[in-house]
Amino acid sequence: MTRFVLRRVGLAVLTVWGVATLVFLMTKLIPGDAARVAAGRTATAEQIEAARQRLGLDRPMVEQYLHYLGGLLHGDLGWSASTKQPVAVDLQVAFPVTLQLVLVAMVFTVVVAIPLGTFAALRHGSAADAATRLVAILGGGVPVFWLALVLQWLFAVRLGWTPISGANGYGLDPPVVTGATLVDSLLAGSPQMFADSAAHLVLPALALSAPFLAVVVRNVRSTMLGVLGTDYASFAVAKGVTTWRLVVRHALPAAASSTLTILGMQLGFMLGAALLVEAVFAMPGLGTYLYTAILNQDTFAVLGGVLVTGAVFVLAGLVVDLIQMAIDPRVRSSHLAHA
Amino acid sequence: MSAGGPLLEVRDLAVRVRESEGPRLVRDVSFEIAAGERLALVGESGSGKSTVAKALVQLDRTVEVSGSVRFDGRELVGARPGDLRRVRGSGIAMIFQDPMTALNPVRRVLDQVAEPLVIRGVPRREARRLAVAMLDRLGVADAARRAHDYPTAFSGGMRQRVVMAAALVGGPRLLVADEPTTALDVRVQEQVLDLIEEQSRELGLAVLLITHDLGIVAGLADRVAVMRSGALVETRPVDELFADPHHPYTRGLLESVPRIDAAPGQRLRTVADAVDDTRESADA
Amino acid sequence: MLARGSRRLAGRRAGALDVLATVLVLVLLVLAAVGPWLAPHDPYRADPATALLPPGAGHLLGTDDSGRDILSRLLAGTRATLLSSVAVVVLSAAVGAAVATLAAASPRWLDEVIMRVVDMFLAFPSMVLALGVAAALGPSLTSVVVAMVIAMWPATARLVRSVMRETMAAQYVEAARLTGMSRRRAMLRHVLPNSLDSLYVQLGLDVSGAIVLIAGLAFLGVGAAPPSADWGSMVAAGREYVTTAWWVAFFPGAAITVAAVAFGLFGDALRTRLDPTVVRG
Ligand SMILES: Nc1ncnc2c1ncn2[C@@H]1O[C@H](COP(=O)(O)OP(=O)(O)O)[C@@H](O)[C@H]1O
Ligand SMILES: [Mg+2]
Repeated sequence: MTRFVLRRVGLAVLTVWGVATLVFLMTKLIPGDAARVAAGRTATAEQIEAARQRLGLDRPMVEQYLHYLGGLLHGDLGWSASTKQPVAVDLQVAFPVTLQLVLVAMVFTVVVAIPLGTFAALRHGSAADAATRLVAILGGGVPVFWLALVLQWLFAVRLGWTPISGANGYGLDPPVVTGATLVDSLLAGSPQMFADSAAHLVLPALALSAPFLAVVVRNVRSTMLGVLGTDYASFAVAKGVTTWRLVVRHALPAAASSTLTILGMQLGFMLGAALLVEAVFAMPGLGTYLYTAILNQDTFAVLGGVLVTGAVFVLAGLVVDLIQMAIDPRVRSSHLAHA
Repeated sequence: MSAGGPLLEVRDLAVRVRESEGPRLVRDVSFEIAAGERLALVGESGSGKSTVAKALVQLDRTVEVSGSVRFDGRELVGARPGDLRRVRGSGIAMIFQDPMTALNPVRRVLDQVAEPLVIRGVPRREARRLAVAMLDRLGVADAARRAHDYPTAFSGGMRQRVVMAAALVGGPRLLVADEPTTALDVRVQEQVLDLIEEQSRELGLAVLLITHDLGIVAGLADRVAVMRSGALVETRPVDELFADPHHPYTRGLLESVPRIDAAPGQRLRTVADAVDDTRESADA
Repeated sequence: MLARGSRRLAGRRAGALDVLATVLVLVLLVLAAVGPWLAPHDPYRADPATALLPPGAGHLLGTDDSGRDILSRLLAGTRATLLSSVAVVVLSAAVGAAVATLAAASPRWLDEVIMRVVDMFLAFPSMVLALGVAAALGPSLTSVVVAMVIAMWPATARLVRSVMRETMAAQYVEAARLTGMSRRRAMLRHVLPNSLDSLYVQLGLDVSGAIVLIAGLAFLGVGAAPPSADWGSMVAAGREYVTTAWWVAFFPGAAITVAAVAFGLFGDALRTRLDPTVVRG
């Protein structure tokens, strides 16, 4: 078991290194003078020269690469030409906002998908099968940023049920501790701030979860059907359990475990989609940061954000695997057998 | 309890797949089992034995059961779901062929064995104590500790003991054992059969033993019912049947049982051979 | 038996949906070919006098902030949308299959190294990887296509490599090898065609995914340069008018949705028809 954990962690470290290398190679794709791009559009000749020195662009490629890796180890993600700050500092503010949005959307997805998938499994038949197939394809086809705009128009503009955009109403932003508004408003002990933060999260989370909802519902349904068809489900019925207990006690753990796997696999898409949703709702997270950086042709800020997203994604995969190992005795014992 | 009558009385049982015009899987099945009696239901694989077993307490929701199943004087066909659930587990318990798949791999053994008690409102601690006692009784060594393991930690024979513990812990009066040894090693098979017989004697438990292997019936059952293509062909006391099978199909089943006293090199007869014989004699 | 019956039923019901998807895909292809000639207005001519007109008789889907007719711009943009998505899918399939074949034909250690590199690429969410590459290359449709190919080929490579591994072990390949066929020839004649089948069956689904991803990139600002009639950029342009002129963002988004769903359904139908390993239902 320990050996498996170590191997898995080793693989994650290797992958993060690969991610960093890819981002380094991306900076080599920049057409023209990278120093000019790094220094920003309005930079003077001296500033461009300073950027060239800072990035080591006048030195050999291998040296640049080692210099870059060394910088990363010290938390140096580059310099933003538009915010005139280290990218790492910008991201410390932006990333928690994105992470909070993704987590809330995930919780929402699970809370809705598990009952829905269970229901679809208990009522399965050809009509239900066709319906889930259609919904899954619709879910995959609707561009999330457009869905976000439609929801924003309907619920915020037309009906006025939720705030239109941003993370907090005027004067209601909690003092920043973690950067996640829900957590910070709880830490500030202000129910009013918490309610305001939550209200600002409803639509973005809803829009973000929609494409994944279909995937997860489908998965819950098929896992449930699988479990309900097993001998141990029949045995449980023979013991006299109710359908409710059969579903909750026997089928749900299996469905939960496979949902976790699916969410882990979908996390990357979800992060990508979160960038779009944020840009729609002007939430001050990574998406809005990247959107602004792209608008200002601040390429090094964009690549810094890309690097962090890639690394976070790799680490999340690691965490999902380790959780899976902790909760599922089969995974545990099969790893034992292989290790 | 109804005085005098059999514990289980099955009359004209028929099973068909819901919403289909197909033939009935099982038809005209009638038999009875007295309290404490052991009846073997034998027949080739596919003859409908499991279908009958599941129909007794209507386990399979994709099929429709008709006829009459009276348990302890109460009719089960058409009974309310709640009444049916009460009979399952605490009246009629079932164990299945493959102990590897009959246990939920992600739940602890203790929870699975205690489940029939827990759902009947026995306090959790008490239910667990009784579950461990039952595991112990069925020969699971170090039961108090091992009960906290997951099923993967148990061997096939041990799992069948766990399954039996879960079946018997609710104090049923009839145990339906559907091919309980087919998936097990030969050596373990015997232990499990001995265990069933022992529990039957000690608890006064009636047993419906389902098997396609007549070889295991002799020592265990009082009577044998022979099934073929969804119907019963004969039901008789075990010694009588072995000494003088009436139906050619039964004869075929008997002849396909390997016997130690058979002449070396003698080919085992299959049931098909015996049925061919009957065809020939019918044609003649 | 029961299962087979209901499966046939589901198949029949899905039939209508399949037909609808096929028709939509055909219509989109026709529009891509002749769309610009069908446009009622000049899709590029700005006119402040007609800015932000709501949908109505003169402009069926309204006009944008520069006074350009949205319907005409949608028609003009169909070709670029379909061409870029199909190009991305075909190119990344080609690159992926080539790398997979190279890996399969290489000595084991090199195979291992190549596939590890593929895993590095897969470690990125594809949207984020494409965003980085496109941002580095600068805004243009070409850089989006290049970025998308860089983001999408690794998945193809993974798929093809694993199908190849299975096929290499298949009996008929061994039989061919026993007749004296060289390893390389067996790969080209038997293994590669068989593995490509697993690609064809999901081309439709991939096109659907590419349409959505490309539009997403354009929405974030890395896409076709401003005046061109790009669907994703059109949604982005309508973002500021959600409160006042909903149609500016709504119709381009709806067009993306229709195209993606049509190709998705079409691809799904194709897969269930063509792929013998997919169980229907
Ligand atoms: N729910 C069902 N739907 C359709 N066919 C069934 C169903 N249950 C059993 N059968 C069929 O009924 C026949 C008898 O099966 P079974 O009772 O399992 O036989 P046995 O236990 O004697 O081997 C088999 O041909 C089986 O395929
Ligand atoms: Mg059976």
